[in-house]
Amino acid sequence: MEKLTAKVENLPEKYKNRGGRWLTDSYVCDEVDPNCHPLGPNNKVVFAPGIVTGTNAPSSGRVSVGGKSPLTGGIKEANAGTPFSQKIARLGYKAIVVEGLPKEKKFWLLKIDKDGAEFLPADEWAGKGLHEVFPLLFKKFGKNVGISAIGVAGERLMSSAGICFNDIDNRPSRYAGRGGLGAVLGSKGLKFIVADDKGAKGVKIADKDTFKKGTKKLTEALETHDITKPGGSLNTYGTAVLVNIMNEAGGYPTRNFREGRFEGAAATSGEAIHDICKERGGVGKTGHSCHPGCIIQCSNVYPRPDGTEHVSCIEYESDWAFGANCGIDDLDAIADLIWLSNDYGIDTIEAGGTIAVAMEAKLAEFGDGPKAIELMKEIGEGTPLGHVLGSGAATTGKVFGVLRVPGVKGQNMPAYEPRAVKGIGMVYATSTMGADHTAGYTIAPEILGVGGEADPLDADKAALARGLQEATAFIDSTGYCLFIAFAVLDIPEGLEGTVESCNGVLGTDWTTDDIARIGREVLDKELEFNRAAGFTKAHDRLPEFMKYEKLPPHNTVFDVPDEELDKVHGG
Amino acid sequence: MIEIHLYGKLRRFTDSLDPRRESTLLVPVDEGDTIRDIIERIGMPMDEVGTNIFLNGKYSLLDRVVNEGGRLGVFPDDMNLLYKWHFTKE
Repeated sequence: MEKLTAKVENLPEKYKNRGGRWLTDSYVCDEVDPNCHPLGPNNKVVFAPGIVTGTNAPSSGRVSVGGKSPLTGGIKEANAGTPFSQKIARLGYKAIVVEGLPKEKKFWLLKIDKDGAEFLPADEWAGKGLHEVFPLLFKKFGKNVGISAIGVAGERLMSSAGICFNDIDNRPSRYAGRGGLGAVLGSKGLKFIVADDKGAKGVKIADKDTFKKGTKKLTEALETHDITKPGGSLNTYGTAVLVNIMNEAGGYPTRNFREGRFEGAAATSGEAIHDICKERGGVGKTGHSCHPGCIIQCSNVYPRPDGTEHVSCIEYESDWAFGANCGIDDLDAIADLIWLSNDYGIDTIEAGGTIAVAMEAKLAEFGDGPKAIELMKEIGEGTPLGHVLGSGAATTGKVFGVLRVPGVKGQNMPAYEPRAVKGIGMVYATSTMGADHTAGYTIAPEILGVGGEADPLDADKAALARGLQEATAFIDSTGYCLFIAFAVLDIPEGLEGTVESCNGVLGTDWTTDDIARIGREVLDKELEFNRAAGFTKAHDRLPEFMKYEKLPPHNTVFDVPDEELDKVHGG
Repeated sequence: MIEIHLYGKLRRFTDSLDPRRESTLLVPVDEGDTIRDIIERIGMPMDEVGTNIFLNGKYSLLDRVVNEGGRLGVFPDDMNLLYKWHFTKE
């Protein structure tokens, strides 16, 4: 960004089969000094579509973004589902590497099309909400472009700023949200990337038969599995179907992780969203998709009482972050808070976690929706308090002397209570990303060879947490949505199809045995970066209060021994 | 008695169909009753019952023995989301 130049280079030979998280990690680990200041001249932001992104492989429109995180101080990979990724891939770009700092404080737009890339001034769109700006950009560049953006939170270098992408209807609503990469782009003055794939050649497929065979198997798996099929759990109720389930399990973090059940769960559940969409009618819908070609379609458009659009989308984590975690049982208030997050360009999980910590500090009462909205607006207005809040829950907790700050490596926990779900607690503790549910969300242990023939849960817990993280790292590299895991772990042909579709694009001969190998390689790179950045085993721990505060209703503490946590990556 | 919390299409076995509220009912418990016994007593068709069943907040199989004063949550077959790799099923 120093000289505002864009250069097209061939992908280094050693990166040739990499995509998504594998590729963004490779650039960050090879080119970024782990000790650099995240907002300084030596950090980089790398965007990469996955291996099969841009093809007609189902549910594969993910974009990975990597860099050093201003929130955790470690490596960060965040990803999102968006047409932007598909367009970058079809233009033939495997990655976009953003480096350097501009000489003067201005904002820029990088326009990419089949003829190359150029920088355009973007100050006219700075300082404004993304809901106002996106329609202006689509008017100027055409409705078929893909857009990556930062909002005012990123412009102001707040460490919970995310990177926003357009959804299938061109809303500013899909986020590579976690870890503050929006602030890194803000430091570089890169406000937008606009990708126009008109006339693009598309993704080169090395072996069309294998690719077709693979995508067919995967499609069949997604279309038959109860969770992912049309009319299945995710399609009908969205990810917020989990609200009632986690609440029933006593693992739904409530009022800043004080309790594991929320009396307002039903009122803010996926079922309630589904019902409201039907009852209010208008534009309200469930079964909405983030990018074209998705079979699962777990997103939604939440309507106001008059049927006009309120926000897209109320997904599980955002719903919880501003709902149960703040003690708020009003979906309309939650919708307002998500809308504001999308407008400012901020991670909903970190923002909700921060407001809950602020409530702990008595800046508002738990359950007070209007006051929570006022606090969010401080972030949007960039007041001194807004800067504190925009820096995340850990910083806010420190500023106000709060003991109960539920984060790991500076990143606030998402919507699963580790004292009730200990396996997730182990993933939070040992993830290279800080507390992150997607780091090891779901994967059948059998595939990874950690469970053998016995019941997978009899297996060594550390091995399970490790296996989960490896498989996730692989899926994050393919460009497939992590939710394909539900289907492909139950249906072996689906998993084979996933690998075969990658082989089809790349001309490789990977088998399902390569999943753990590739995942391990990705994680090892990340661990090495974090070690060089100063992380030790002492950082792989949950916050102390979870070891002595019993969580109702199970009245348990997090009692996984430290040695067990150290085994996850320590072998 | 055991307090049953039902979700989705199974709410029809309670007096409250509103998904924005809890749909609960109280069912008498006999010594040794399993979750399956309770579900059959309510008259819920087994093919509508999903895999996400929680007894006192613990992910459970159908043959687990229920307790007086307990809480049982049952989700229908079209609301499965949690899987074996989240919880140990007892």
